[in-house]
Amino acid sequence: MRNTYLQLVQLITGILIAVLLGIHMVTQHLDAVLGFFGIDIGHPTSWSSMIERSRQGIWAFIYIALLIFTLYHAFNGLRNIVLELTPSARAERVVTGIIIFVGVVFLILGIYAPLALLS
Amino acid sequence: MTEESKHEFKFTEIKFKVQRYNPENGKAPHLQEFTVPFTKGMTVLDGLLHIKENMDSTLAFRTSCRMGICGSCAMLINDYPHLACHTQIEELHTDKLTVKPLPNLPIIKDLVPDMSTFFANHKSIKPYIIRSDRQEMEQPTAEYTQAPKELDSFLQFTYCIKCGICVAACPTSASDSEFLGPQALAQCYRYCADSRDEGAEERVASVDTKHGIWHCHFAAACSEVCPKGLDPGLAIQLMKRSLVSRAIGSKKKKQPAQVAKLPAEPTKPKVPVPEFTAKGK
Repeated sequence: MRNTYLQLVQLITGILIAVLLGIHMVTQHLDAVLGFFGIDIGHPTSWSSMIERSRQGIWAFIYIALLIFTLYHAFNGLRNIVLELTPSARAERVVTGIIIFVGVVFLILGIYAPLALLS
Repeated sequence: MTEESKHEFKFTEIKFKVQRYNPENGKAPHLQEFTVPFTKGMTVLDGLLHIKENMDSTLAFRTSCRMGICGSCAMLINDYPHLACHTQIEELHTDKLTVKPLPNLPIIKDLVPDMSTFFANHKSIKPYIIRSDRQEMEQPTAEYTQAPKELDSFLQFTYCIKCGICVAACPTSASDSEFLGPQALAQCYRYCADSRDEGAEERVASVDTKHGIWHCHFAAACSEVCPKGLDPGLAIQLMKRSLVSRAIGSKKKKQPAQVAKLPAEPTKPKVPVPEFTAKGK
């Protein structure tokens, strides 16, 4: 069932990305739309607002979660496409190795930023 | 002018461009042109048979039943995979036909594709009823019971004639040479959904692979081209749902169909048998 589990996680991360990205979009890019409905959230993209958000644990959690889900979803999808075009056991090992390495590097870099801002 | 005469086929001759390939002479596949006299009701297969019988006897193609049952004459007709015996030339509204072998399969000669991988994939999903009661399977005492509703859940997939047209149309089969293909995957669902079957676990192992069911992108080209009107795309999606249910443990375990109970006494026919038949005179 390995391939089913990999694909199931792909499906779940897709849904979670839609939810978390939705939160990000509404709170930071749709301030004009929210203003139309009488909800004032100030200037979410200003420097002070961003620094203020970065010091809240909930936002650090949302960004780290979004990063993990996006990395898995994107790199697993990319791996599937590449393996479909180059079907061989050796290619699979190489592609999986490269994708895990690049994914871990991006993950460390991505997690470092919100944790550094939090402390 | 009547509606019928407006659409009347006005051509008396059909120009066939047929792909020729013989691995023995080393030439690359190329198109050869034949002009065939048109007769009403002529199919593409009729045209090919005319060429073989009257123009070039070396032309190779498969054919058998001539009525869309055996699936032998599947080929690419004007860039659309179809059964040659099931394609009326009149319906194509042109006097120019290009006939090539099915794509995504190796060519043996001219219009004859190599179906060995196709049938190996079909065989790999164990296309037969698997039961735990081996004694009953080998020496049956009666048939297994199956309600009409249970049969309806997979009936359309039993009509597959294994022509290979779905594989020829599949974009994943085109890019991934090791992909199982829509035919085998749809047949996997057909047997797993059968209420008489207990072999789902064994079949899951053959489709939950690196080049198995999850490489299907659901382009549904297989459903579009199937000459028997099957929906292999639907079967693949249902199989995927079944695999996910299995993975998260929400799959309900059903009792397999039981052997039908035989009546205690031999039943009498409801309609009286005529004297002459019963006596055999």
